[in-house]
Amino acid sequence: MNLHTFLSSAFLVTWLAASIRLAGPILLAALGETFAERSGVLNIGIEGTVLLGALTSFLLSIATGSPWASLLGAMLVGILASLFLAWMYVTVRTSQVVVGLVFNVLAVGVAATVYRRAMGRSADPESITMFQPVHLGWLSTLPIIGPILFGQTIPLYLTLALVVVAQVVLFRTRFGLGLCASGENPKAADAAGVSVTRMRYAGVLISGATAGLAGGYLVLAQIGLFRESIVSGQGFIALGIVIFGRWTPWKAALAAFIFGACDALQLSLQLLDTRIPPQLLLALPYLITILAISGVMGGKAVSPAALMVPYAKDE
Amino acid sequence: MSNPSGDAPAKRRLLERRLAPSDSPLALAVVMTLAVLAAMGIASLLFLSYGANPLQAYAALFHEPFGTLRGFGYALVRTAPLTLIALGTIVSWRSGFGYLGFEGCFVIGAATSSWLALETAPGASIGPLSGAVFFPAVILLCLIAGALWSGIVGLLRTRFGGNEVLISLMMNYVAILIVQYLVSGPMRAPGSLPETDRLPAGTWLTFVLPGTRAHAGILLAIAAMLLVWMLLRKTALGYELVVTGLNPVAARYAGIDTGRRILLAAGMAGGLGSLAGMVEVLGVQHRLMDGLSGGVGFVGIIVALLARLNPLAVLPTALLYGGMTVGADAMQRRANIPSSITFILQSLIVLLVLASSMILRYRINIAALRPARIEPPAEPAP
Repeated sequence: MNLHTFLSSAFLVTWLAASIRLAGPILLAALGETFAERSGVLNIGIEGTVLLGALTSFLLSIATGSPWASLLGAMLVGILASLFLAWMYVTVRTSQVVVGLVFNVLAVGVAATVYRRAMGRSADPESITMFQPVHLGWLSTLPIIGPILFGQTIPLYLTLALVVVAQVVLFRTRFGLGLCASGENPKAADAAGVSVTRMRYAGVLISGATAGLAGGYLVLAQIGLFRESIVSGQGFIALGIVIFGRWTPWKAALAAFIFGACDALQLSLQLLDTRIPPQLLLALPYLITILAISGVMGGKAVSPAALMVPYAKDE
Repeated sequence: MSNPSGDAPAKRRLLERRLAPSDSPLALAVVMTLAVLAAMGIASLLFLSYGANPLQAYAALFHEPFGTLRGFGYALVRTAPLTLIALGTIVSWRSGFGYLGFEGCFVIGAATSSWLALETAPGASIGPLSGAVFFPAVILLCLIAGALWSGIVGLLRTRFGGNEVLISLMMNYVAILIVQYLVSGPMRAPGSLPETDRLPAGTWLTFVLPGTRAHAGILLAIAAMLLVWMLLRKTALGYELVVTGLNPVAARYAGIDTGRRILLAAGMAGGLGSLAGMVEVLGVQHRLMDGLSGGVGFVGIIVALLARLNPLAVLPTALLYGGMTVGADAMQRRANIPSSITFILQSLIVLLVLASSMILRYRINIAALRPARIEPPAEPAP
């Protein structure tokens, strides 16, 4: 491999298109998690929620053959799972790290058990109907930008639209501002008539919905089958993306693209038979995330002030 | 909570909220038992769905590890790493360092001990060592390797204010990939599978219970438990660690260098997690391979939580959880019920125990069951 092929425009286009595609699920999960964290809840349980969403969408896809129904099912399962999580975080007021962590173990157990049961003894994963890329008319014929941005799947377009929606909702609506207030200064929010409990429930439910969707995206638009190791820390990486994106949707999108670019580079370098061990490349996304959230680059001060602090109104 | 202003007392409800959660030990014990029973009830439904009688399933689950000698040996084999990881959790969490990287420490310890063991094979760089030299050396080396690994996270937290919870979760994947690289590259034995050669027999932990596979790792775990208990309960250093965890600001005012204490706690946690990996390799697998940890790093944390971060409660809890895993494996072999059900049972128990603290916030008012006296409406004063 020489520098020329590496920098050829064909390579660049494939690489960037893959970057955006791979950023999809992490961005989705990170967008919802931004809401949860802005409301004051660190929802580590999204890792397990993504897994449950992925399993649901896979099984539904086999049963119904409809990717949309499967995606919807994944979202509903995500909401259900996070209803339990929200109850634990907000009403019972247990340690958020503990509940999220233990929930992830629970999700692994549930996913493995349900998957084995549903698949019976057949070891062959069935093939499912996936989302196909949709070319957006003349937009996709634009040079370079066309194939990168406008030759993607519909869930990806929706994810990108969701960035804008999240940005507006979070900072330009009464709901979003109340949510942020609950995470910054719950007492003040309470005094101003905002129900901190309701806001935090909303934040966690939103993060559950997008985590479920992220799982569905992984299966239906990216991989096309289910494995117990399908998520392998992508939920955790989404948590990192939220920090890297400074709890702001559009910055989280940028962070997710940087991450996707590393991931895509790793994939194409593996194909290109370099002498670099594949494990080093596979470790790259995690290393990048560690670096991004290590605090080496600063940015501690912007985290929501009441993050991980349970709030009890009458105490 | 309080009576609304006015003359009539508020109607008493059957379920009344307490001003502060009940802290009576009896209530606590009852509620915890209820939570465990509820978790087992939910798992019963799962057993039923496999057409198994839940009572028989539970009998099978606990008979194998606690009713047979062979099974008990396997339970001890599972207990040792769980205990060590739970102790690591206790040291770090009680010092205010929310470390979750035990999957990573586990494989780092496994790799380190395998490397040293392989180097002591005849003809390798170090050559055969007697057990009296090898075992102290391998324990020390694993402690150092684990401490360095978790120390990275500790340093990022104390120096740069990084979030140790997330960083340690990411580091798990990095460690697992490092071991994957080692067994498929530099340390790979000739053969089709990505794994190392079998370790020389002189480096295996001796079996301690005749007729079983139980190895000396359990003794190491018990020793570690006593040491951690002594450290936290009886030494000045342990006191400083716990104070740092309880209130870092107060600790600083008392002249405790909290950064150093956290770094130290991180190192000890990593060392203990690394010993867990060593015990698994030298006691059970006798070679290094990919996928060694399989969630033990997280189950160990769960054990610590269930033991309420009390070192002495770790051993019985770990034995229970280790035994459950052994029983579930037996069930999978015999009744074809997937062993992943143990993950569900193990995590549900903790979640429900946590949730059950809700119950302690309420009291039942028997008085509310009696029919309320019907009082005539107050006449307006003339």
